[in-house]
Amino acid sequence: MRAEASLADLLASVSSGDREALRLVYQRQSTRLFGIANAILRDREAAADAVQDGFLRIGQRAGQFDPARGMAEAWLAAVIRHAALDLARRRGRELPTDDPTLGDMPVAPEALERVAAQFEGRRLRDCLGALDEKNRKGILLAFVHGLSHAQVAARLDLPLGTVKAWIRRGLLQLRECLA
Amino acid sequence: MPGVIPTDPGERDLLAGEYVLGTLDSRMAAEVAAALPVDAGLRASVEAWEARLAPLTTLAEPEAPPPDLWERIDAALSPRPAPRTAAARPAWSGFWRGWAIGASALAAGLAAMILLRPDEPARLMTVLMTQQDQPAWVVEAENSGALRLASLNPRPVEAGRVMQLWALPPGATAPTSLGLLPTEGRLTVSPSSIRPTAGMLIEISLEPPGGSPTGRPTGPILFIGRLTAAGAS
Repeated sequence: MRAEASLADLLASVSSGDREALRLVYQRQSTRLFGIANAILRDREAAADAVQDGFLRIGQRAGQFDPARGMAEAWLAAVIRHAALDLARRRGRELPTDDPTLGDMPVAPEALERVAAQFEGRRLRDCLGALDEKNRKGILLAFVHGLSHAQVAARLDLPLGTVKAWIRRGLLQLRECLA
Repeated sequence: MPGVIPTDPGERDLLAGEYVLGTLDSRMAAEVAAALPVDAGLRASVEAWEARLAPLTTLAEPEAPPPDLWERIDAALSPRPAPRTAAARPAWSGFWRGWAIGASALAAGLAAMILLRPDEPARLMTVLMTQQDQPAWVVEAENSGALRLASLNPRPVEAGRVMQLWALPPGATAPTSLGLLPTEGRLTVSPSSIRPTAGMLIEISLEPPGGSPTGRPTGPILFIGRLTAAGAS
């Protein structure tokens, strides 16, 4: 039955132009994906635009998803994240970093446990836990909330000049730890 | 712009990591996005970083999207004339509900008043709205591919700055400049490199004299709207 088709199967149908398959993908994933876009844009109207743009990209690029190389959920999230990041950049990332809706959740201690709640997240949790606090927080704020280097610097009260280097160092350490 | 993507393998992989993390500026992010279809090595790096960091997406709280969002996506995927009721319905009470819901009805209504003659076929149009959801410009695509613009509520522009018009086709990662605009009035713009399509974002940004020096919007987006097919009434 269609209702039980896997996301990967639905994406294969989407790539051949099946609009109903795309609607089913939307039905199953839109709440999660809208949350991802809204965490970056913190504006429901803008997040809706990003999800719309993202679904147009999904419609065009579903054929690029290869189930042998990753999970459909992760592929969908990546498409939506980049649509949201592109919109955030076009808006000049003018989002204030003292925005009260910008929670501390991604940098709260329990955040790492949420990451580890999925099987694939356990090693990432351990590797993030091994980073210096400022490197870890910079990476989490950038990924979850789409913050620029300047915004990470303001948010963590760190000098801008060093934030970029810290984040790069954090990425290098993560790559090594996860290898 | 050749040479922007580094050749050193370590630098390339870090660039891919920063692209996935989202910290690259507009220009570099667009360079990476443009290189991906033709640079298999960079693509593999980006895919590996997406896989490494994917578990972090669970840190975003799931949230239900606006109830009409699928209808908007569906309409943007295949342009159909808006329902005839869109222009005729008593929309004024809900007029300011935001361009996401109101813009297509608004575009149909305003266009009927301002630009369209009766019995013309459905056309692509939009109303560019301010961040406060105030209508600012009506944009209508002609069959020739030209865009006709008319200002609705002219506002002064910051001294020493100009307004620049941009178009972002669905799925594109960087907008295309369509030139500088007067602060008010009516004009027709004939894009040379793009054709108006349903779902295309039209934006006006605030830029230094002469326009954006980078070829991408550098100032705030003043007005924004998305082209949709509006039914002629």
